[in-house]
Amino acid sequence: MTAATAAPVRQRTPRATGAVPLNATRLLWIELRRNAMPWILPLIAALFWFDSYRPSTGTVPLYALRTYWNMGQGHTIVDFGPFVAGVAAWMGSRDGRRGLADLVTATARPRWAARLATWAATAIWAVAAYLVFVGVMFAWYAHQGVGGSPPWWWVAVGATAVTAFSAAGFAIGAYWPSRFAAPVAAFGGFLAMAMSSQTGFNYASGWALILPTNSNGNFEQADSGIFYPWLPDLPIARIMFLAGIAVAALGLTGLPARADGPRLRRTAAVVTLAGVASAGIAVGLADDARLSAHGMVIPALHDAANGAAITYAPACGRAAGVPVCLNPAYRRWLPDVNAALAPVLAEVAGLPGTPVRATQVATAYPTGTAGPQAVTLGGHPPVLRMSLGSFNLPGPCGFCDGPAAMKQFADQMRRAFAQAFVGAGNGSGGPAQQAMQAALLRGAGIPFAELPGLMAASRNGPGPPPGAATGPVYAAARRLATLPAAARHAWLAAHLAALRAGRLTLNDLP
Amino acid sequence: MNVDITGLTRRFGRTQAVAGVSLEAGAGVFGLLGPNGAGKTSLLRMMATVLPPTSGRLRLLGRDPGSYGPRREIRRRLGYLPQNLGYYPGFTAAEFVEYFALLKEMPPGEVPRAVAAAIEHVGLGDKARAKLRTLSGGMLRRAGIAQAIVNEPELLLLDEPTAGLDPEQRVAFRALLRDLGQRATVIVSTHLVEDVGAACTEVALMDAGRIVFHGTPDELTARGEGTGAAGDAPLERGYSAVLAAARSSTAVA
Repeated sequence: MTAATAAPVRQRTPRATGAVPLNATRLLWIELRRNAMPWILPLIAALFWFDSYRPSTGTVPLYALRTYWNMGQGHTIVDFGPFVAGVAAWMGSRDGRRGLADLVTATARPRWAARLATWAATAIWAVAAYLVFVGVMFAWYAHQGVGGSPPWWWVAVGATAVTAFSAAGFAIGAYWPSRFAAPVAAFGGFLAMAMSSQTGFNYASGWALILPTNSNGNFEQADSGIFYPWLPDLPIARIMFLAGIAVAALGLTGLPARADGPRLRRTAAVVTLAGVASAGIAVGLADDARLSAHGMVIPALHDAANGAAITYAPACGRAAGVPVCLNPAYRRWLPDVNAALAPVLAEVAGLPGTPVRATQVATAYPTGTAGPQAVTLGGHPPVLRMSLGSFNLPGPCGFCDGPAAMKQFADQMRRAFAQAFVGAGNGSGGPAQQAMQAALLRGAGIPFAELPGLMAASRNGPGPPPGAATGPVYAAARRLATLPAAARHAWLAAHLAALRAGRLTLNDLP
Repeated sequence: MNVDITGLTRRFGRTQAVAGVSLEAGAGVFGLLGPNGAGKTSLLRMMATVLPPTSGRLRLLGRDPGSYGPRREIRRRLGYLPQNLGYYPGFTAAEFVEYFALLKEMPPGEVPRAVAAAIEHVGLGDKARAKLRTLSGGMLRRAGIAQAIVNEPELLLLDEPTAGLDPEQRVAFRALLRDLGQRATVIVSTHLVEDVGAACTEVALMDAGRIVFHGTPDELTARGEGTGAAGDAPLERGYSAVLAAARSSTAVA
């Protein structure tokens, strides 16, 4: 050795306390500035516009229906997921692809921590873009006067899904540092979404409810976020599931020997197991989900306070002198409801049991094939209760053949009223009740010839095609319709209780 | 000793890249010479703590890199320039150097000054804000050197640092090496003999995974005198003579 080799090692100033967090922040800032994710955002924005936003504008302007497509069926996730996974894989494979693995490994900061900074920047871009796109969409909905409140829990599910895609893609890139990692991760993400959607269509209960594109049980009815809050049970389970996937994927990137020392690798293993456990528990929770009147309930997660009604000041009008009050989210349809009810209310005006007012009630999820009754009449004094969410409201209808016409809505409202008035309940009622119902509807302006079709359209589920307005029921109805209004009134005043109780036959009708 | 190696080996399957190397080095510039495949890069990667040895004892800056805590301490005090340096094409030269300064856990307050100084040292001051994808191969190499020296390392490992540099830059770089060698242990792996002659205080020559010569450049030059070994310069002739002698003794054995 020469003299130089014996020179002492100079002393270094100890690191300042707090250096690591400050360095980490600066590192994250550089990663944010030089991340590849912003380059793909214009493409995602275009896809979001065409696939998530545009189809939703053709639906009824209520949040539950507007967001059925993009949040319920998860199209926002489908639009983001594959691209985010691909870009994240590109970023995850960066050090390996660029031949910098040795250099990064030879630095003091654990390689896992350095990788997490790269992933965090990628995920921040993706989640921020998701929130901005959804925020702009909701702001536009608000500008359009969409009723109700946005499904924030489902937005959180989407944001977590985007995070999970970024983590999974990043892990693929970290383990497979190849230029092909990005397209493979993107295709894998697309395949996962396609399978999720396909499975979601087929399973309305059980474990498959955990899939982020399964809309069953939360978006079919209109009144979530209007009469009662959006139930958070299933979203919480899905967040657990997706966050579990994200955590497990990130934990996996800390397992290789190069990631760092044994302690950090053990931590990574624990993190991975925790993620897997979270996802597994979430699947179990979803398997326990059951459909309640207001959506999916998971007993282990359910808080009864979430079912509390939302208070509101109703929007009121009058139909044939009867006050009609709706939830303000439905205010735009108040004239349509008044116009629909006025002829049938006029038909029964002055009779005992005639409603003194009509009020809107929340739509409940169907508990059987027939589903709950859309219009009921009861109480002392009698009150007409209408679930408007069960009707195709006039205007854009989304996935119908075309926009719902006012006549279609009015006819259905009148039929539902007449059915409730004669006491037919949730079924078709007895022959005498059917005949009186037909006579009342005829008096309200619906020709007999249209009634079989109207009845068939109101049926839940498949059934025989509508026939002609013939037979004993329609013969009795025609007899009733030809009676002078005063005579029909007088007969109803005397026999309405017996008719509602189902004690009358066709022969008892005048 | 900043570098204390005893009987270090590294195998890749059936190939023995490093075969029982023993070496000691303190402050100064240490040249690691040898033909392609001699095991220089593997030895340097082990010293850079990115490649664990198969066997042997390795102590760097008085610490055992096999243990997590000491390894982290070593890495804080280490500068490393790999042979095939990659780069992030979207980063500017300054960001690239800063990125590695942060990974080396330098005190945050020192980072901006250290980055500027390192960039100036390698003559990239006017290109600090240029994206790496726009720089020439030589400039990229200088950016790589800048990241290696940004933390004023106590142990600096440079694998073929002058590859791609033009003669003017090479001369400047040798001066930089001599300057760094005043304060730190600089190990330069190269096959360019003139770099060793100009900058190194000590030199080791590797062949087939072993150190076949260890001494000063002058001693290496002396080995070539009167042997008729091939080479344009005295140091090259020493290099050739030592290699020839090592190979003939291996063949006899």
